[in-house]
Amino acid sequence: MHPGVTPLVEVDDLHVHFGEARAVDGASLMVLPGEVLALVGESGSGKTTLIRAIQGLQRPTSGAIRIEGDPVDRTTRPKIQTIFNPTVQMVFQDPTGALNPRQTIYDVVSEGLRIIGQGDQESERVADALSRAGLRPPERFFPLFPHEISGGQRQRVVIAGAMVMQPRLLLADEPVASLDASIRGEILALMRRLVDETGLSILVVTHDLGLAWNIADRVAVMYLGRIVETGPTEQILGDPRHPYTKALLSVVPETREMEQQILTGEIPDPARIPSGCRFHPRCPLLQSGSLPEEIATRCPTDDPGPVAAGAASGAACWAVSSPDSVGSALTP
Amino acid sequence: MSEPLLSVRDLNITYHGHGGEVPAVRGVSFDIEKGGSLGLAGESGCGKSTLANSLLRLLPAGTEVTGEITLDGQDVLGLSPGGLRAARWTSGAIIFQGALHALNPVQTVGDQIAEPMLIHKTAPSEKAARQRVVDLLGRVGLSDARADSYPHELSGGQRQRVLIAMALACDPHLLIADEPTTALDLMVQAQVLALLDDLKEERDLTLMFITHDLSVLTYACQRLAVMYAGRIVEEGPAWDVFENASHPYTRALAAAFPTIGDTSSRMAPSGLGGDPPTPGSLPVGCPFHPRCPLARAECQVAEPGLRPSGPGRSAACILV
Amino acid sequence: MTSIAMQRRRATASRVWKQFRSSRQGMIGLGVLLLFVLMALAAPLLADARELNPVFARASGNPQWAPPSDFPPLGTDHIRRSVWAQFVWGSRVSLFVGLAATVLTILIGSVVGIVSGFVGGRVDAFMMRVTEWFLVIPFLPLAIVLASVLGRSVWNIIFVIGVTSWPSTARLVRAQVLTVKQRLFVDRARSLGASGSHIVGRHILPNVMGLILANATLAVPISILTETTLSFLGLGDPTAASWGKTLEEAFVNGAMVRNAWWYFLPAGLGILAVVLAFTLIGRTLEEIANPRLIRAR
Repeated sequence: MHPGVTPLVEVDDLHVHFGEARAVDGASLMVLPGEVLALVGESGSGKTTLIRAIQGLQRPTSGAIRIEGDPVDRTTRPKIQTIFNPTVQMVFQDPTGALNPRQTIYDVVSEGLRIIGQGDQESERVADALSRAGLRPPERFFPLFPHEISGGQRQRVVIAGAMVMQPRLLLADEPVASLDASIRGEILALMRRLVDETGLSILVVTHDLGLAWNIADRVAVMYLGRIVETGPTEQILGDPRHPYTKALLSVVPETREMEQQILTGEIPDPARIPSGCRFHPRCPLLQSGSLPEEIATRCPTDDPGPVAAGAASGAACWAVSSPDSVGSALTP
Repeated sequence: MSEPLLSVRDLNITYHGHGGEVPAVRGVSFDIEKGGSLGLAGESGCGKSTLANSLLRLLPAGTEVTGEITLDGQDVLGLSPGGLRAARWTSGAIIFQGALHALNPVQTVGDQIAEPMLIHKTAPSEKAARQRVVDLLGRVGLSDARADSYPHELSGGQRQRVLIAMALACDPHLLIADEPTTALDLMVQAQVLALLDDLKEERDLTLMFITHDLSVLTYACQRLAVMYAGRIVEEGPAWDVFENASHPYTRALAAAFPTIGDTSSRMAPSGLGGDPPTPGSLPVGCPFHPRCPLARAECQVAEPGLRPSGPGRSAACILV
Repeated sequence: MTSIAMQRRRATASRVWKQFRSSRQGMIGLGVLLLFVLMALAAPLLADARELNPVFARASGNPQWAPPSDFPPLGTDHIRRSVWAQFVWGSRVSLFVGLAATVLTILIGSVVGIVSGFVGGRVDAFMMRVTEWFLVIPFLPLAIVLASVLGRSVWNIIFVIGVTSWPSTARLVRAQVLTVKQRLFVDRARSLGASGSHIVGRHILPNVMGLILANATLAVPISILTETTLSFLGLGDPTAASWGKTLEEAFVNGAMVRNAWWYFLPAGLGILAVVLAFTLIGRTLEEIANPRLIRAR
């Protein structure tokens, strides 16, 4: 789709299984340089497991992860921390938990530099990272402990600790979910600014569609371990195709004009993924009976397959397209 | 306008801690009429949970509470211990935040739902209580087999439903929901909100709903009150306040969760600088002035009270 | 930059000290302990070591079984030695054995606990089985066997106590490591590429250190009591005048029957006071490290 551009990260048919449970079950996606991709889904969709696998915190069962074109084989190496790549850094949901209460802010931010043995000009680099994360003057924060600053500032420290490593990709796991509403916008604005100013890419995992609208260039929707729809943010949030995305969007309190499609129940147990299309037991489109007979009979038996990594946009649904075009670029 | 079911007048709540006095709620007054619903919005530390707990006198001992709380015609602050026990659950019931911690891990959910009925003798026998449990579970969308489950066997959304069933056990007139959907996914949140909406219609419940997400409140409630630093800073009809806020803080909260499809918020997340103040050390003057984009010199002098800002609306800002 | 960290560490230390100072039980414990430590250090000034030698005692014409009134300050024993000298010099042995055995206990226990908890898996399973094995072997028979095989010396006593009392420390430390390991900041360090040793040194250890220290102060009195027990059973060092040995000799030579309270009472009260002092200090440190304990009461 973008000839000549090497994706920063390419995930191809990734599986992460915990015994019977297939937390990630054939997920494929890619992040291009300088873009924000929002990976949207409910808890239990496997989105956090997916980014932990990219970061190397979780060993995949099978599948490929390529960082800047280089395959990283994370399925066979015995030690997870030996396959570390400073190009990829992580920001966590709960900044309070992500900071060691016994480390000063300086220790926290400089930790990565010390680990990779880049101690030269350490304090300048720490100061630079803190001020770019909006903590100014940075020297004032050096000696403080995490409990002496506010929740929003803690998340800025976590971001600074990642940015000091000069990553090309930031993986963010619900970065504002545990923050107060008024602070949320500031952290999101910071993340977007880092992308615009430094050419960083961000893969942000969230269940919050408003966040995607605020900062994401593209959206990938995950359901039961797979990407079921992907495309540019305006398209996914403005004109969703997959019935799951439609339902999600309809229940966002801000979109009151849409008729609500409240799905019953919760995401099924990943140890018992339904046959055929994994969404069919909850699918409002199938339940409405409006589908043509030849499609409706396929949903419970035939798997529409995942959306391919390289697809500019696409939806894994029989009602949206013919099966041959799923997995290739659907719409330009 | 009908008689208010809950009326709060000039409520002040002060904690006495090691670090001295901490004023959590400072002079709050509001009414909720029978069958009405009020959404209380605010961030951590603004006093909203303290306020909710004070309505049924669930605050820790030694907390100083002054003012008036009238619930169902009873003076809550003056109730005897026996009267208070009766008022809890039957006049008003609370759905706590954190569905996992509010349930006893070693008791089946059926027993936990039956407990308040047996305590308040609203069910004549254990068998009758059992029957009510099954009814209530059905009402909140759980199968009766769930009565024999333990909390850890349920998902987050199911636990939240159990808590709602528990709160409904004694047919309360007022239901206080403290962040009932915060830890839940979008779809489950929608399910719970729809359930609360149905119950409100069906049982003529009066609802007080507390969360930091203004858009949820706007969706679920008729009226909206926004708290900042222990005070109500804006109050009025929910949609009116959400769409057209008078107080700059309300405006910031409303903008925090963008309207999808609104091009002005696309790629432009909006938030406030600074952090919410700590209750122990409030800024002088309007407590919002250090973060306020419209602050003027006089904002640092005196704290403005609520003043009318439109039909049925009021806001505590000198610019109103 | 390290200077900032040092400053902060000093500030933390002074904060802990301030909290400690405000605790009455902690200060009483510390006062009593300091008294005994001073006494042990100043032993040569307080009592002539030769007074411990029965030959010297006889030569200097000490009376036998003299009550304190006849031979101040604390009388003499069955072989004319000064009880005061035994008390003063005994404090040295008891405190030394207690501290040294504790260091050994904590060292083994912490290493086993941290490795077991952090590495996990088969290593953990194996180490915990070994720990449980040590935990269930009856202490006294083992101590008796070890003491008789290794011979009777202070160092053997220390070894015996160390080898037999580490398992409970190991289990405690392991449990704490398991909780700390789950914390998000360990994940953060991992995603920064940290090695196992970095994570243990920078994140696990600082967060279990408080527990280890508090546990150590509580292990000292147990070690002292164990030394007393072993000495009382005649397994102690025959050449070292510990409080335990004083008690043993008093008992064997019929001080109880003779009602010679001055013989056994000082050593007994000394043990009681030191044990109590360490317990009070340990409890106070535990409360500072884990403030929930105070509220739980």
